[in-house]
Amino acid sequence: MTTTINAEPNEDVPEESPDEIERHSAPSASWVHRIGLDRFSGLYLLAAFFIFFGITENNFLVWNGSIEFVLTEKVIVVLLALAFLVPLTTQTFDLSIGATMALSLVIVNKVALETDLPDGVGALLGMLACLVIGALNGFIVVKLRVNSFIATLGMSQVIAAIIRRIHDGGNITNAFGESYINFGKSSLFSFKWPWSDTQIELPYYFFFGLIVATIIWYVLEHTPVGRKMFATGGNAEAARLSGVKTDRMAWGSLIASAGIAGFAGLIYSWKFAVYTSSVGPPLLFTAVGAVFFGASQLKGRPNVWGTIIAVYVLAFGIKGIGLRYPSEIDWMQPMFEGLTLIVAVAVASRQAVVKVNRRRTTDSGSDSTPEQPSPTNKLTDDTAVAEPTV
Amino acid sequence: MSKLLVVRDLTKSFPGQVALDEFDIEIEAGRTHALVGQNGSGKSTFIKILAGYHEPDPGSSARLAGHDLRLGDGEAAKDAGVRFVHQDLGLVDTLNAVENISMGVGYTTGRFGRINWQADRRRAVDGLAALGFTDVPVDVPIAALAPSEKTAVALARALDGWEDNAHLLVLDEPTASLPGADVERLFRAIRLLKERGVAILYVSHHLDEVFEIADDVTVLRDGVRVTTESTSDLDHERLIELMIGHRLEHVDHRSVARVGETAGLAVESIRGGTIADLDLVVQPGEVVGVAGITGSGRELVAPFITGQAPSESGNVVVCGTSIPNYDPHAAISAGMAFVPADRATHGIIPLESVTHNLTLADVDRNWRGGRLRHRDERAECLEWIDRLQIKTAGTGVPIAALSGGNQQKVLFGRSLRLTPSVLVLDEPTSGIDVKAKDQILQLIDQAAGDGAAVLVVSTDTDELVQAAHRILIMVGGTIVAELSGADMTTENVERAQLQSTKATTS
Repeated sequence: MTTTINAEPNEDVPEESPDEIERHSAPSASWVHRIGLDRFSGLYLLAAFFIFFGITENNFLVWNGSIEFVLTEKVIVVLLALAFLVPLTTQTFDLSIGATMALSLVIVNKVALETDLPDGVGALLGMLACLVIGALNGFIVVKLRVNSFIATLGMSQVIAAIIRRIHDGGNITNAFGESYINFGKSSLFSFKWPWSDTQIELPYYFFFGLIVATIIWYVLEHTPVGRKMFATGGNAEAARLSGVKTDRMAWGSLIASAGIAGFAGLIYSWKFAVYTSSVGPPLLFTAVGAVFFGASQLKGRPNVWGTIIAVYVLAFGIKGIGLRYPSEIDWMQPMFEGLTLIVAVAVASRQAVVKVNRRRTTDSGSDSTPEQPSPTNKLTDDTAVAEPTV
Repeated sequence: MSKLLVVRDLTKSFPGQVALDEFDIEIEAGRTHALVGQNGSGKSTFIKILAGYHEPDPGSSARLAGHDLRLGDGEAAKDAGVRFVHQDLGLVDTLNAVENISMGVGYTTGRFGRINWQADRRRAVDGLAALGFTDVPVDVPIAALAPSEKTAVALARALDGWEDNAHLLVLDEPTASLPGADVERLFRAIRLLKERGVAILYVSHHLDEVFEIADDVTVLRDGVRVTTESTSDLDHERLIELMIGHRLEHVDHRSVARVGETAGLAVESIRGGTIADLDLVVQPGEVVGVAGITGSGRELVAPFITGQAPSESGNVVVCGTSIPNYDPHAAISAGMAFVPADRATHGIIPLESVTHNLTLADVDRNWRGGRLRHRDERAECLEWIDRLQIKTAGTGVPIAALSGGNQQKVLFGRSLRLTPSVLVLDEPTSGIDVKAKDQILQLIDQAAGDGAAVLVVSTDTDELVQAAHRILIMVGGTIVAELSGADMTTENVERAQLQSTKATTS
């Protein structure tokens, strides 16, 4: 699975390397690129939804129950997607994030329901448990050398088992005290929309999510740690030989991802104040899909804002479809999610201007001869004919 | 005796050079014919043409077993009965011998396409037995086999399905990674094949092996066939003479190394892989070259010193600090910088920008006031682009978009930016053009002039002779000779690498 969709666009290739670069600037591609239909396809799509559904559906451009609901509910998906994004930058996959989110949710509910501890302590315990899970994931991946895909898939089931051990199924509702709910849910932001009676309100937890996203963005794009994480993901061995502690990057990113997923669980507890066994793992596809869709946005590699755009494009699209075809939404939702992901990534891939020649260039052999395969050679991509070494 | 393969007037030119110049060769059935020559002499070009990897220039002709053979056509060569076993055997480590052999030649299938494992297993066992390998466990993954057994599996796969004996087997450096005892087992297999009438074209750097296994030898030098003779008419010295010829030597006036009190780099009793025992010292301001044929341990020198690969034992000291095994971070912290041999897999982060690649070894330098100063990074990158004359469309371009030579300069920049006290360069100019090569040689000189202890490991002897103050020669996993001053000529260095392989092969 490759995470980088396209390289940064670059029309002007150095002239001395015709054999290492293939120009892929089809004439039709240029206008697509100029208006940003590739990197900003998500924003265009979002605008299209607002215009189309805004005109056709009376209930779409309504704050209460529509826009506000999508904005706040999807903060959970945003965080879960970012939990997947963080380790992905180091080419580590964390598939246990859905289960980890459910773990923090069940712990915070259980503590509130069955102990006298303050709800906030339950939240801290939930977060702590998630960080332990992240550390364990890191240990399994880094020290036991288990492929992260497998390790976290297994861990996902382990967490599911722990959750069942803690709580024997069924829903938990109304476990929390008022102060806990208010801490997350009371609105930070409230004013009256000038043209209607609508009261615009956004709760605290929405901004908590925004703050977490901003921190992740800052770390990934503006600190040496982020740079080293992307380097690890881009070529782990080259990064290691440049002094990057690649194991530490992978391990740390798994702890971070578990923490972010755990926080998504807390936001769920503020928003819905319930625990049901169907929370968590079912959100995994949407979250993972949003990261890959988001990778086609803005930068051509997994990135925070692209991911957030992707989550909301999908969410508002589904909202609109749900209003227009209320009886069909059941099957249209997954269809829409799947197709959007494929189309967005396909459009971005077509734009890849720089395509690295997959052929191993002559520097790979231990003994190099001046006998370089010429660019026109018909078998240059065929590694089956191993390059003889003299 | 019957001529199995006859090639006439084979010329192959690449832009700017002629790799093979009217090359003729005749190979007889039932004999082993060695092809020897220095790096770049045209051996690999010839094999690539036989394998259909390169198209020859017009005007050549070839006949195999009495029929015309179209050179540059891999399928035609295969149909005519030419088979190859390359140095990289092309086996899948996780599959067993039966599967590896079947993968190459096709599975035996019964009705409904079901694989007939019993038939396949029998074929594998028989194929290996025909090579004298009767006790190879064919049911375990290849990775668990001895090196010679793996080679035998590759041989069995190559030979499977030969109906008669009028065929040619090309062995390209088959012993490069084989320990001594395994070489003998391989030779027994080769002799068995010879008895079956198979002609063998044997390519090797190891002249001892050539004398042991080959009946005839063709010597290539600079794309021209020097001679074809029976090995019994030659001796070791004479063969080296034929391979090297007499070349003009470069004379340059390199500044004399400043010898400091503490060594910049000291390597003590490193062992592991093909390296039996390695000791060396590089003083600040000194450029030391390491030469050796493939299989001499040369290729592991830089990986062990820099922590790219784990050694079994030994000690690396950088400016008085002993650095732990297999830990590039510690090596860099101690003042070492490194440009690895395999740029694509160990050097560049392909889709990251030139700037990000350049600054990777010390990103924290531009981390000030809680922010990574992107503008300073870019300015620094522009400085290096200017200083190293890197050709790139910009600082934000992915490094993969640059040519090989320019990628290499970025990697040099990454290392030099650390102002290292020890600089280790593994094949620093491999696969890059002449102009970039000159620039890189200048950079090496400058780095030493600035007081770095520089170790250059290379298969390019000319480059070593130009760059180094002294050259260490590796044979059989250890340093057997040191050349410096007037003795340090291309001819002497190449001669020393080829000599006395027998004495130290163990």
